Amino acid sequence: MNPEPPPVTTGPRRAIGGAFLLRRLGGTLVVLLLLSIGVFGLLYLAPGSVEQTLLGTRPASPETVAAIRAQYHLDDPVAVQYLRWLGGALTGDLGTSIRTGIPVTEAIGSRLPLTLELTAYGTLLAVLAGVPLGILGAVRRGRAADRISVTAAVAGMSAPPFAVGLVLLMVFAVYNPWFPVYGPGEGLGGRIAHLTLPAIALATGAAGLLVRFTRAALIRQLDQDYVVFARARGLPSRLVLWYALRNSLIPILTAAGLIVTSTLAGTVLVEVTFALPGLGSLLVDSVTFKDVPVVQALALLLTLLISVVNLLVDVGYTLADPRIRLGASR
Amino acid sequence: MRRPRFPGPAVAVALLVVAVALFCALFSWLIVPDATEQDLTLGITYPGPGHPLGTDDLGRDVLQLLIAGARTAVLGALAVSAGSMLIGNLTGLPAGYLGGWADGLAMRWADLMLSVPPLLVAIVVAGVMGGGYGLAIIVLIVLFSPTDARVVRGAVLEQRGRPYVEAARLQNLPAWRIMSRHVWPNIVPVALANTFLNFAYALVSLASLSFLGLGVPPGSPDWGRTLADNKSQLFANPWASVAPGLAIIITAAAVNVVGDWLQERAEERMLAR
Amino acid sequence: MTENRHGVLVENLRVGLAGGRTLLSEVGFAVEPGRSLAIVGESGSGKSLAVRAMLGLLPPGLAASGDVDLAGVRVSADPKALRALRGTTVSLLMQDPFTLLNPLRRIGRQIADGLPARLRTDAEVARRLAEVGLPAEVAERRPFELSGGMRQRAGLACALSGDPGILVADEPTTALDVTTQREVLTLIRRIQRDRAMAFVLITHDLRVAFSLCDDVLVLYAGRVMETGPAAAVHRAPAHPYTRALLAAEPPLDRRLTVVPAVPGGVPAHDDVLGRCSFADRCALVTDACLDGRPEPLPAGIGRSSACVRSGELPGMKAAPPAAAAEDTARTEGSALLEVRGLTRTFPGASRPALAGVDLRIAPGEAVGVVGESGSGKTTLARCVVGLETPDGGEITLGGQRYRALSALPRDARGRVLRTAQMVFQDPYSSLNPVRSVGAVLAEALRAAGRPAGSAEVAELLGLVGLKASVAGRRPAGMSGGERQRVAIARAVAGRPALLICDESVSALDVTVQAQILDLLAGLRESLSMALLFITHDLAVVRQVTDRVYVLSEGRCREEGPTGRVLDAPADPYTRALLASVPDADGRWLG
Repeated sequence: MNPEPPPVTTGPRRAIGGAFLLRRLGGTLVVLLLLSIGVFGLLYLAPGSVEQTLLGTRPASPETVAAIRAQYHLDDPVAVQYLRWLGGALTGDLGTSIRTGIPVTEAIGSRLPLTLELTAYGTLLAVLAGVPLGILGAVRRGRAADRISVTAAVAGMSAPPFAVGLVLLMVFAVYNPWFPVYGPGEGLGGRIAHLTLPAIALATGAAGLLVRFTRAALIRQLDQDYVVFARARGLPSRLVLWYALRNSLIPILTAAGLIVTSTLAGTVLVEVTFALPGLGSLLVDSVTFKDVPVVQALALLLTLLISVVNLLVDVGYTLADPRIRLGASR
Repeated sequence: MRRPRFPGPAVAVALLVVAVALFCALFSWLIVPDATEQDLTLGITYPGPGHPLGTDDLGRDVLQLLIAGARTAVLGALAVSAGSMLIGNLTGLPAGYLGGWADGLAMRWADLMLSVPPLLVAIVVAGVMGGGYGLAIIVLIVLFSPTDARVVRGAVLEQRGRPYVEAARLQNLPAWRIMSRHVWPNIVPVALANTFLNFAYALVSLASLSFLGLGVPPGSPDWGRTLADNKSQLFANPWASVAPGLAIIITAAAVNVVGDWLQERAEERMLAR
Repeated sequence: MTENRHGVLVENLRVGLAGGRTLLSEVGFAVEPGRSLAIVGESGSGKSLAVRAMLGLLPPGLAASGDVDLAGVRVSADPKALRALRGTTVSLLMQDPFTLLNPLRRIGRQIADGLPARLRTDAEVARRLAEVGLPAEVAERRPFELSGGMRQRAGLACALSGDPGILVADEPTTALDVTTQREVLTLIRRIQRDRAMAFVLITHDLRVAFSLCDDVLVLYAGRVMETGPAAAVHRAPAHPYTRALLAAEPPLDRRLTVVPAVPGGVPAHDDVLGRCSFADRCALVTDACLDGRPEPLPAGIGRSSACVRSGELPGMKAAPPAAAAEDTARTEGSALLEVRGLTRTFPGASRPALAGVDLRIAPGEAVGVVGESGSGKTTLARCVVGLETPDGGEITLGGQRYRALSALPRDARGRVLRTAQMVFQDPYSSLNPVRSVGAVLAEALRAAGRPAGSAEVAELLGLVGLKASVAGRRPAGMSGGERQRVAIARAVAGRPALLICDESVSALDVTVQAQILDLLAGLRESLSMALLFITHDLAVVRQVTDRVYVLSEGRCREEGPTGRVLDAPADPYTRALLASVPDADGRWLG
C-alpha cells in the first residue's frame, strides 16, 4: 500500500525545497491580494453614505460632498477606485486621516516603534516563560510540576490581556506602587519600566499557548518508538531529550506564528488598558471615529506583518525539516 | 483499554464554576433584579458592609453588577460557539466526506479567514460597521466557523478512510446516510470538545469587544463593559473593574478545563478501537 | 546457575498494573553467551512485556517484580545499574523499522551516538554499516531515504554500536515483507554467532523461532507453558498449547481438509487463576487441570512443561490432519468476474500500482492473489468493489461491465455490490465503534433487500459461529476473532456470489486464523460462493484457493492451479517468494 521510497535517492535535492518556498510565497501574495480587497471594502461597509463617512464631522454641503467625490475619485468604477487605492498603498500614499487631517503614513510612523517594542518585549517574555515550562511539563509528565505548568497554561490562555493588565495594575501599581500606571515613559530605563506590566499582560496568553504547544509536541515525540529505542541502546538521557526536542521543533515553530499574531491582536487591548500611544490605540480611536483611511492602512499593515511572520515560519521549518527540504513523500 | 475516566478534582471545580456562571446568566433577573439601580449620593466606595465588592462611581453595587453582567457575557459566548459549531458541522462534514472542488474551495476560504487573528478582524469590522452586541456576535460566528469546519473536516477525513466507512459504502448506502448515521456519531465528541474550547475563546473575544466599546452600550452590566467603565476609578475602588476581569478569567479558564477534559476523552475514544 | 555470568537470568518475573491486575507472572528463563532463546506467544501472552520489564523499559503505569541478572549484575534491585548496562551490555532491536530511528538525524550520527567516545570516526561508522551489509554512503542518509529492510539493518547497527553481550529483538521482522524478513533474520543470526552474544527473540511465529534460536519458551496468558531446545520442542511438543499452535500453522506443501483449530481466544492472566490457563480450549482437559495451577515439570533433557498430562502426550500422537485433494481449476464456462488490463497509478507515485492486470473467476471458484506490499493486490480488490477507480481497463462482474463503479447508476451499482462483498484486514477498524452488531447486520440485510428482523440477524450470527446475544453488543470489548466473524457476517448477509477477502486473516493470531480459515471454507461450501482471497501468505493461499495469481509491482508474474504454482513455480519471482517462507527446521536460513 505504501510505495516505499527508492533505496538511496540522488539527484537535484535542493531544488524541491526552493519550489516549496516559491509556492508558499505565491500563496502569501494571493492571500494578501484577497485581504486587500476586503480592507478596501471597509469603506463601503460603514453605515451611511461613503461621502458622509469620508467627511467625518465636517458639515455636508453640496460643495464639500462634490469636493470629496473628486478627491477620492468616487465617480470612477469601484474596481478602478480599488486599483488606485492599492497603487497608492504600494507607493506609500495611504491618504489623510479624516479625524486629524495629517497624512496616514505620518500618523502610523510616529506610533509604530512603540507597538513594535511592546510586541517584541511581550513575545520575548512569552517564549522565555512558555517554552521552558512546556518542556518541564512534558519531561515530568503527570507529576506535580506538570500539573502546575498545565494549570498555569490554561489560566494564561483564558485571560484576556486587558483583564490581566488591570489585575497587574491593581497589585503592582495601586497596592504596591512599584511600576508606573499609565503612559509610555521617557528614555530607555523609563520605557522599560513603563512597558514591563503591559508586556507581561501581553505575554500571558501567548505564554499559555506556548506551554501547551511545546508540551504536547514534546510528549508526542517522547512517546515515539525512536525514543524508547534510543533509551534501550543506552544513549545518555540528555541526548535522548535532544532527539525529541529536535523533532518537536517543527510543531513549536508552527505555533510561533500563532503566537506572534495573537500578540499583535493583544497589543490593541493592552495599549488601551495602559493608555499607550501605539498602533493599537490608534486603531481603536480610528475605528470609533470611523476614520476609514487610517483603519484601512492599519488593517493592511497588520495583515502584511502577519503574512511576513507566517512566511518566515514556513522558511524556518523548511530549514528545520529535511523531509520537506528534500521533498520526501512523508 | 482504559476505563471511562471520571473527572478529577480540577475538572469537578471547573464544572461547578461553569454551572454557577450559567445559572447567573440565566437567572440574574431573578437574583439581582435591580443591579443597575444607581445611588449617586453614595458614589464610589471601597468594599465594606452591605457592599462586599464596594460600589462604582454611580453607586451601583459591584457584586450585583457582576452577577447581572454574566447574562450578556456568557449567553453571547454560548451563542457564538453554538452558531459556529452548527455552521462548522454543516460545512465540514460534507466537505470532508465528499471532497472535490467544493471541499477545496471551502478550505481555501478557511485558510484565508484563519490567516488573520479573528479578534483583530472583529475589532475592525464591528468597529467600522458601528458596533453593537448583536453585530459582535454575528461577526464572531462568521470568524469562528472556519476553525470548526476545519476541525470537523479533519475528524471526518480520519474516519472516512476506515474500513467501517468503506464497508458502509459497499452496502450502497446513500452518502447522506453514511455521513449522518455512520461518520457523524463518531466525530460528535471531537466537535463537542471543540465547541467548549470555542466557548472560552468567544467569552474572551466578546468581552474584549465590549471592553473596547464595540459590544453592549455604555453603562450596561456586562463584564467587559463594566471593567472598561470603571477602569478610570482604579484608585478609588480597584475591585469595580478587577472583579469583572477576574470573573472573565475564571469562567474562561473553567470552560477551557472542561473542554480539555472532553477533548482528552474524545481522543481516548478515537484511540480505543 | 553460576555459570551464567555473562548472559541473562530471569527468575519469578511478574508484571502488573501498578496496584492492580497482573498481566504476567512466574516467568523465568536463562540465556548463556552465544546461545539464543525465542519467547513465543500470541498477542496477549505478555512476551513483549517480559523483555521490556527485563530492560527496565515498561510503559508508565506498569510495574515489575522478580529477579533479573544481566551479565552477572542483579539489575532488578538497582535500576541505576541497569541504565548503565543498556547499550554496552544489553541492547534492544524493535519491531517497526519505520519508527525506530530518529527521523531527522543522519544514520551515521545515530550509529556514532552509541559508540564509545574514542571510536566515533567515519571509518568506524563505515565498518559498522558494513557489518550489517550496508554501503558506507548510507551514513549520510536520513531514515526517510531508506527502504524498510535497510532501516532495520541500520537499526541493528545502532543497537550493536555499544557492543552489547546480550541482544534482545522484539518481532524484528514482523513489519517487513517475506523476502526482506529472510535477509534480515539471516543477518541477525550471523552477527549473533560472530559476536557470540546471548540473544533473546520475541516472536509470534513458531517457524521463525525454531529456525533462528537454540531454545524456545512458549508463553500463554502471561504464563510459561513450555520450554526446551527448539529441535526437541518442534519434534514433540510437551504441552497441548504448543501442539495446537504448531498444528494451526498451515503447511505450505499440502492442502488440509480443515486447518486444526482450537476454539476460543487467549484469556486474561487474572481470569484463569488457580488452574491451567489453557484448560478452556484444551482437548485433553481433565479435572486435575482445573483444580490448581500446574507446576512446570521436567519433560526430557533441558525441557519443562506446565501440563499435568505432559507425560502422556507422546503416546497420544494425534493423527496428522488429512490432506485434501486439490480441486482442479474450473476455468471453463462463463466467468463470474472478468478483469481485463486494469491499470492504476496513484498521484505522486513513481510507478503504477497496477500495470495491466487480467483476472478471471468462475462461479464458485476460489482464487488467490499473492504478492508483497506494493504488488498491487489490494488495489486490484478495491477496484473491483469500486473503492478505488482504475485509470484504465475493464471489469465485468455478474454480467455488469464497468471501469469506475461509482459512475454506474445507483441500481446497477447495487446489483454489483450484491454480487460481490468484501472483508477487510483489520478487524478493529472495520466495525463502527458506536453501532451495535445487530444494527450493523440488520443494515446489511436491508441493503441486500432481505428481511432484517432479529430472527434473521440471529441466523446470520449463527452462520459465522456467534451466539444470537452478540447482536446487542458493540465492538468494544470483542476479540479480534469475534469482530472478524461479524465483518464476515456483514459481507455474506446478502448471499453474494463472490466474497473478496483482503488480507482478512493476516492481522489475527495463528489459532484464530485457523478458526477463520475453517469458517471461510465452510461458508464457501454452504453458500456456494466464489472467493477472491488477497494475501501475502503462501501457506494460507494453499489452504483456501484452487487457483492463484502471483503479483509483483503491479504485474501478474504467474497464474495457475495453486498446487502446481507452489510445487513447481515457473517464474523466478515465485520461487524467491517460496524460498522466503519460514521453515521450521533450521536449514531455512542457510
